Amino acid sequence: MIEANQLTKEVTTSEGVLRILDDINLTVADGEALAIVGPSGSGKSTLLGILAGLDTPSAGVVRVNGEDITAMTEEGRAAMRARYVGFVFQSFHLLPSLTALENVSLPLELRGDANATETARGYLDRVGLTARFSHYPRQLSGGEQQRVALARAFASRPKILFADEPTGNLDTVTGKTINDLLFQLNREEGTTLVLVTHEATLASRCHRRVTLRGGLLVGDEAALPGTPG
Amino acid sequence: MMAWKLLWRSWRGGQLALIFWSLVMAVVVVTAVALLADRVEKALVKESSHLLAADAQVRTSRAIPDDWLQRADDGGLKTVQMALFASMVYSGDNNHLAAVKAVQSGYPLRGLLTLAERPFVTTPEFFESVNHGPPAGEVWVDSRLLPILKMELGESLDVGEVTLRVSKVIVEEPDRGGSFSLFGARVLMNWQDLAASGVVQPGSRIDYRLLLAGEDSDLANYLAWLEPQLNSHDRLLSPDEAQAGIADTLVQGRRFLILAGSLGVVLAGIALALASRHYAAGQTAAVALLKSWGVSARRVRLLYWQQTFWLALVGSLLGLAIGWLVHESLVFLVRELLPVNLPQAGWRPWLVGLATGMLCLVGFALPALWHLPSLSPLAVLRRDVPVHPVSAMKRLVIGLLVIVLMLLWYSQSVALTLAILAGLAVTALAVMGPGWLLLNLARRLGNRAGSVWRLALANLWRRRGQTLVLLTGFAAAMAILMTLVMVRTTLMEQWRWQLAEDAPNHFLVNVAPHELDGVEHLLADNQLSSVGWYAMVRGRITLIDGQPPSDELVEQNNALRRELNLSWTDQLPEGNRVEEGLWWEGLDNFAERHGENVAPVSIEEDLASEIGVTLGSRLTFSVGGLTFDGVITSIRSLNWDTMTPNFYVLFPDGYLEKYPRIFMTSLYLPPEQKPFVNTLLSQYPTVLVIELDMVIERIRSMVTQVTHGLELMTLLILGCGVLVMLAAVKLSMAERLQESAILRTLGSTAQRILMVQSVEFGAQGALAGLLAAVGAELALFLLQRRMFEAPFGLHVELWLWGPLIGALLIGVLGVLYTRRAVNRPPLQVLGNLDI
Ligand SMILES: Nc1ncnc2c1ncn2[C@@H]1O[C@H](COP(=O)(O)OP(=O)(O)OP(=O)(O)O)[C@@H](O)[C@H]1O
Ligand SMILES: [Mg+2]
Repeated sequence: MIEANQLTKEVTTSEGVLRILDDINLTVADGEALAIVGPSGSGKSTLLGILAGLDTPSAGVVRVNGEDITAMTEEGRAAMRARYVGFVFQSFHLLPSLTALENVSLPLELRGDANATETARGYLDRVGLTARFSHYPRQLSGGEQQRVALARAFASRPKILFADEPTGNLDTVTGKTINDLLFQLNREEGTTLVLVTHEATLASRCHRRVTLRGGLLVGDEAALPGTPG
Repeated sequence: MMAWKLLWRSWRGGQLALIFWSLVMAVVVVTAVALLADRVEKALVKESSHLLAADAQVRTSRAIPDDWLQRADDGGLKTVQMALFASMVYSGDNNHLAAVKAVQSGYPLRGLLTLAERPFVTTPEFFESVNHGPPAGEVWVDSRLLPILKMELGESLDVGEVTLRVSKVIVEEPDRGGSFSLFGARVLMNWQDLAASGVVQPGSRIDYRLLLAGEDSDLANYLAWLEPQLNSHDRLLSPDEAQAGIADTLVQGRRFLILAGSLGVVLAGIALALASRHYAAGQTAAVALLKSWGVSARRVRLLYWQQTFWLALVGSLLGLAIGWLVHESLVFLVRELLPVNLPQAGWRPWLVGLATGMLCLVGFALPALWHLPSLSPLAVLRRDVPVHPVSAMKRLVIGLLVIVLMLLWYSQSVALTLAILAGLAVTALAVMGPGWLLLNLARRLGNRAGSVWRLALANLWRRRGQTLVLLTGFAAAMAILMTLVMVRTTLMEQWRWQLAEDAPNHFLVNVAPHELDGVEHLLADNQLSSVGWYAMVRGRITLIDGQPPSDELVEQNNALRRELNLSWTDQLPEGNRVEEGLWWEGLDNFAERHGENVAPVSIEEDLASEIGVTLGSRLTFSVGGLTFDGVITSIRSLNWDTMTPNFYVLFPDGYLEKYPRIFMTSLYLPPEQKPFVNTLLSQYPTVLVIELDMVIERIRSMVTQVTHGLELMTLLILGCGVLVMLAAVKLSMAERLQESAILRTLGSTAQRILMVQSVEFGAQGALAGLLAAVGAELALFLLQRRMFEAPFGLHVELWLWGPLIGALLIGVLGVLYTRRAVNRPPLQVLGNLDI
C-alpha cells in the first residue's frame, strides 16, 4: 500500500542544515497496522507527514497504491489524500464552532456526500456518543473529543489511517479505551494503519513496529504473535 | 451551498460578529450620509429652479422681441412672458401703489403658486397649489391688500383702466424671493388684461421677463443663441446663477457630510481589518485540517471568498436598511431646515452604500484572509509551521488605497479628497502626539503607584500602538460631540443673554412721512415707546470710482444688487465706532476739495471690504432715478446687539433732503402685547414689521436642529470607535487570557485582575476624554471668536465630564468584554490557547 525508498529530509536552520530523516526504506502492506516508535525528536511525525503526503522529502520516493506521490504537485497530493487518507491527531483538532455531529460530517460534506449526516450519525453511534450529537467540543471531555475525531477519521472510509500519538493528551485509562476503539474500528473497516506512539503497549498491538533514532531507522520487527488487535 | 453552510456555522460560533458589524457600520454611515446629501441636493436644485419659476429667466426693460419667442418655440422650449410694474390700484375711494405682475397663463413654468380663498390663513389645509396664473378678468392678490383697500374677496379692483375681480389671495409665489418686499402688495393679473389696462405707455417703467423651461440641451442651445443679443440692461438668470448661494451651502454641507462619513468609514475599516486578522488567526487550524483532508488550495480560496462575499453582501444590505433608518432620523431631526416635501433619493446613494461594503471587504477583510489558502496542511502535525500573512505594510497600503478610492468617488474631487486625508492625518497626529506623551507620563507615574496601577499602565504602554489608534478614534468623536452639545446649550444661552432683557425686539420699517404721527399715537395709546424715528432713503450703488462694479462682484454681493437704506445723522449713532478716517466734524474743506455736489460718506467696515472700497473711494448712488456722488470719509464698525436700527451707509444731515424718505424704528414689545402687531398692520398695511423675537427663536431652533443632526452622525462615528476597540481587545485576547492565567497561577485573585483591567481601560477612556476636552475647548474658542463674537472663557464642565465619561464608557465596555478572560480557569487557558 505504501512504499518509501531512501527517504531523506533535511531542513535549513540558522545553525546550518539539519538532517531529520536519513535514508528511510519502508513498506506498509495493505491492511497492515504499523507502529512508528522512537524518542522525542527522532523524526516520527516528520516521517508520518511525508508518508501521508502532507510534506515532501528532500530526496527519495514515496508510492501510495503504486503512485509516486513525491512527483505530484501539491494539488495532486491533495487529491491523493482525499482518495486514500484519514488522520487522527494528538490534539484532536476538532473545530470549536461545530457540534460533534458537524465535526464528523464536515469532511463528508466537503466531498459532496449526500448522506453526510446519516453516515456521521452512524459513526458517532459506533464510538458511543449517541447522546452527544449536538454538543460542542468545549462541552466534551478529552476522551470524548478524541472519540469524535476517530468517528470523523473513519467516517470518510480511508484506505490508510495515519495517527500521530492519538492518546498523547489523555490519561492512561481513557487512552486505553480510545486505543481499543481505534483497533476495533480498524479491524472492522480493514484499514491500513500507520501509528506514531511513545507507548510500548500500544505499539505492541500493531502487526509491526519500526523504531527511529536520530532520523535513522534502527529497528523493524514483527510484534509478538497473538497480540495484534 | 457549502460556503453558506460554513458561513452559518462560523456565524453561530460568533467568530464573524465583529467583521459583520464593522462592515454594516461602514455601510450605515455612508448610506445615511449619501441618502441625505442626495435628497437635499435634489430639493435645492428643484427649489432653485423654482426661484425663477422657470429653468432660466431673461429680464429686460423692453418688450420681449418676437424673434426671441419664435426661436424659443422652434427650439422646443416652453415660454411665459411677464411684466412687472408699480401701479395705483383702486377699490371704491381707496387706493394703493401695488406691485403688479401680469403673467401669461403658463406661469409658473417651475414650482407652484400657493393660493387661499380666505385672507391671512396660515394653516395648510386651506391652501391650494396651482401651476397656472389667474384667468383673464381675475386677479390674485396679497392678503394685506384687502384691508388696505377695505375690500373683500370677490369684489372688483381697478388696475389702470380695466376692472378685475379679486378671486383669491396669494400665500406663496415661487419667484417672490426670500426677502421682505418693502413695496406694494402684489397684484397678479392675466397678461391678456394688460393692454386694456393702458398701463403700458411709452416711457412707463416696466420690467419684462421671459421665463423659459425645457430640456437642458435645448435650453443651452437657446441661451447660446440669445446671449450675444443681450445688452447691458438685460439680465439673464440661469439656474446656475440662481443657485450660486445655494451651491455654497451645498458645498459646505456636502463637505461636512463627506468628512463625517469618511471618518466613520476609516474607523469601521480599522475595526474590520483588526477583526479580520483575528478571524484569520482562528481559521488557520481549520484550513490546515481541510487541506489535510485533501481539499485543494483553489477550493479553500473559493470557499473563503464565497463566505466573505456573502457576508459582505448580507452586511451591506442590512447596512443599507439601517442607513435608510438613520437618514430618516436625520431628516426628522433637521426637519424644519428642509423643504417639507423632500424629493425621493435616486439610485446612487444605494449604489454608494453597497459599493462601500464591497470595497471595505476588498480593502480591509480580504488582505487579512489572503494567505489562508496557502497555509501548509503540515500544521495539523506540528505547531510551529510558519504562517505567512500579507505583511502589515502591504495591508496598510491596500487599506489606504481603498480609502482614497472611496473618498474620490464620494467627493468627486481630488482637492476635497486631499483635504479630507490631510484632515484625518492632522487629527491622528494631533491626538497621537500628546497621547503618546501622556501614556509615557502615566507609565512613569504608574511605576510609583500600587501594583494594580503599575500593571495596568504598563499594559497600556506595551500595547501603545493599539492604544493610540483607539485614542484617536474616541478622542475625535468625543471632541465633536462635546463641541456640539456645548454649542447647543451654553453658547446659545450666552448669545441670548447678551441681549438685554428689554432690548428692542421688533423693527417697524417703511413708514411713510404722513403715517408717522398716526403710528406714534398708536404706540402711545398702547403704552409702547420706540427708540425714535430714523429717516432713510432707498437707493443703490451704481458705480464705484466711476466704474460699474464687475459682474462677479455684483454676483457675490447682495448690497450691489439691492436697494440700500441710506440715512443721515450729525451724531455718531450709539454703538457705532469710527475705525478708519474721521467723523463729519473732523473733515476740513470737504466741499472745497470735492465740490458742492459730492457728499461725504461713512460706510460699515464689512460692506466696505466686501465691495472692495477704502477711504477716499468714490461711490455713485442712484435714488429714484437721480444720481449723485459720495466720497468715503470714514469706515465704521457696528454693534448689532443694541438692536437699534443700524445703517450701512450714512451721510451728514442735508444731503438726502430732496429725495422721498421713509421712516423706521425699533421697539420692545412685551410678549403679552404681541397682538399689537395685527392692530398696527390692519391700520397701516404698508408698514413692514420685522419680528426679531421670531428671528432669534428661528436661529435658535435652527442651530439646535443642526446640532442634533450632527450629534446623531457623531454618535455613529463613536459607534465605529467602539467597534475598533472591541476588535482590538479581541485581537489581544489571547495575550490577555494568558496574562490573567499566569497571574492567577501566581496567586492573584480574579478580583485583582479585574481591577487591573478596569484601570487599564478606564485610564484609556480618561485619556481620550481629556484629549477630547482639549479639542472641544479649542473648537469652542474658534466658534466663539468667529461666529458668536463672545468673550472666551474656559468650560470647566468639559474638563470634568470628558475624562469621566470616557473612563466610564471605555472602562465598562472593556471590562465587560474581557471579563471572560479573567473568569476562565487558568488550566483551561494554558492548556488550550486557541479561542
Ligand atoms: N521544518 C523544520 N524546521 C526545523 N526543525 C524541524 C523541522 N521539522 C522538524 N524539525 C525538527 O526535527 C526533529 C524531529 O521532529 P519530529 O516532530 O518529527 O519529531 P518526533 O519524533 O515527532 O518528536 P515528538 O515525539 O516530540 O513528537 C525535531 O528536533 C524538530 O524540532
Ligand atoms: Mg511528533
